[in-house]
Amino acid sequence: MFRKVLIANRGEIAVRIIRALREMNIRSVAVFSDVDRTALHVRMADEAEHIGPAPSSESYLRIDRILEAAKKHGVDAIHPGYGFLSENADFAAACEAAGIVFIGPTPDSIRRLGSKTAARTLAKAAGVPAVPGSEEPAKDLEAARRLARKLVYPVLIKASAGGGGKGMRRVDEESELDAALREASSEAERSFRNSEVYIEKLIDKPRHIEIQIAGDQLGNLVHLGERECSLQRRHQKIVEECPSPLITQNPKMRAAMGEAALRIAQAVGYSSLGTVEFLADIQGNFYFLEVNTRLQVEHPVTELVTGYDLVRLQLQIAAGEKLPVKQDDVQWRGAALECRICAEDAENNFFPSPGKIVQLREPSGPGVRLDSGVYPDWNVPIDYDPLLAKLVVWDENRDSTIRRMLRALTEYAITGVETNLAFFREIIDDPVFRKGCLHTGFVGDFFARRKPKSIPSQDLELAAALAAAAAHSKNGPAKNGQLTTRNQKPETSSWLADGRGSLLRR
Amino acid sequence: MKWQILIDGRAVEIDPEDLEAVKEVEPGVYSVLLEGRSFEVRAIAAPHVLNVETGGRRFAVEVRDPRNASRQSRAATGSGRQSVSAPMPGKVVRVLVKEGDAVDIGQGLIVVEAMKMQNEMKASRAGRVVEVRVGEGDTVSAGDTLMVLE
Repeated sequence: MFRKVLIANRGEIAVRIIRALREMNIRSVAVFSDVDRTALHVRMADEAEHIGPAPSSESYLRIDRILEAAKKHGVDAIHPGYGFLSENADFAAACEAAGIVFIGPTPDSIRRLGSKTAARTLAKAAGVPAVPGSEEPAKDLEAARRLARKLVYPVLIKASAGGGGKGMRRVDEESELDAALREASSEAERSFRNSEVYIEKLIDKPRHIEIQIAGDQLGNLVHLGERECSLQRRHQKIVEECPSPLITQNPKMRAAMGEAALRIAQAVGYSSLGTVEFLADIQGNFYFLEVNTRLQVEHPVTELVTGYDLVRLQLQIAAGEKLPVKQDDVQWRGAALECRICAEDAENNFFPSPGKIVQLREPSGPGVRLDSGVYPDWNVPIDYDPLLAKLVVWDENRDSTIRRMLRALTEYAITGVETNLAFFREIIDDPVFRKGCLHTGFVGDFFARRKPKSIPSQDLELAAALAAAAAHSKNGPAKNGQLTTRNQKPETSSWLADGRGSLLRR
Repeated sequence: MKWQILIDGRAVEIDPEDLEAVKEVEPGVYSVLLEGRSFEVRAIAAPHVLNVETGGRRFAVEVRDPRNASRQSRAATGSGRQSVSAPMPGKVVRVLVKEGDAVDIGQGLIVVEAMKMQNEMKASRAGRVVEVRVGEGDTVSAGDTLMVLE
């Protein structure tokens, strides 16, 4: 096993990996940009190295600086986390060339599965159905028009090198095609330095269901079941769960999808953790979407239901060990649900809300796991993804898991930045969500049917009024944007002295 | 003398004596006991108001205490001028209009990027751009005035 591992990432996932390393007695090396000097992952790691300015293109995406840090600290391996360089075949190859193990699949597997069009071809050859569409990037507008007509609108434009909804556009009619192609292409160029886009048929009310796979370097491969990630905003997942409610209704789907995922993995001799993503419709048909050749954000739901530590598994595979699990060993118990807690304003189109975390109260108790990358007084930088933490809960079945999640969300409080906590309290309690009738447009539909909030109880208003009065008498009136509720000693407030006096004179 | 508290515009009167029921348990966090029922309340100062969160709800609260009742908040409208301000810290990636341009309602004015997301700010009514205060590449803070329309 490795002695020392560098984590080429930040935030909650770097913290998650440090925890796995510590449990295995492996030293951890964090890397950080200018704005992350005091980030939680740096505080928690055994060693840490500065790698550049805030923009990720000058720090977390710099292969040369990360390898320099790796050599300086004498690590045996690099864990890339998710995002950043995690699916960059050149980085994996550069690690190999430097004599450092890249904790992930081979550069060859990343190349063959990383391009969505190449992966679709591979999936079809392996007998796995894909959404009808082009395998080739769209060359010109005329060809794109012909193809879109053949597929019948609505169609979806996607970036070949894409992910997370970047470079993706829905097109409902031909008049929108030209603009959508140009926008998608330029967004793809900005996000991935690759402007290639392709077109596929849009599946109505699709569900996003993915299969977790794990393969060792000896050719053993297993799947660890599914995660349903149909709740998305801006094409990015925000709620994930296992089991999928659709698969609970159609139990044969799990084995069928699992086998399909394994056929794709076998075709490239896959060794590491990976995720094969599918779209499924309500009839239980499923279509290959793409392969993510890395650890996923939502891996904890699989961990809670199967009992395996996926990061530990990934480290064991990378160190050349035999997969400690056979397909027949894998069992799924209970239900797990994850909410991605982000610094964003759900009431304002999920607008990012960076800034300082003023108050933080984290949930705990039975069945609650919090993978967090923040702490009180931490300044959430503007430069990266707004994910603060993942709240993951487990219980015996989906209903009790939902109740447990609502309980944990009630305990959770973050102030200073806007978060989507209140939004989750509402959407997890939504009757349609509770029934498990999900699809990728669920969040949009939810906002459309959402009822106005009820009038709060008089007690609640009175409690709010009393606290406001107490805050006011301590701090004086709210000033323009200045936070005065903290760090102010009562003695420094002449207003308060005056207030006390007036209370006594009353 | 009673204090008048406006909670999302609804008036609640409280007696300063009732503050006995309130304990500040952490900075900005209050425990309130009302006839045996327990509430935890968080107070966060925001521009011109206090945001108060409790029971999963958030209220915008204005406290009017008798000693500065003469102070009234003035609504910042009426001049016909409208400033477009940054809703969050970020970086200006594109300025889509220039000074003197006439703009229609809904027209894109400026694109600000933060946390990997680009946001196009649009005109909330028709008018003319009288001033552009930022350029492409500028870093802006929440609340900064980006441009002025009239």
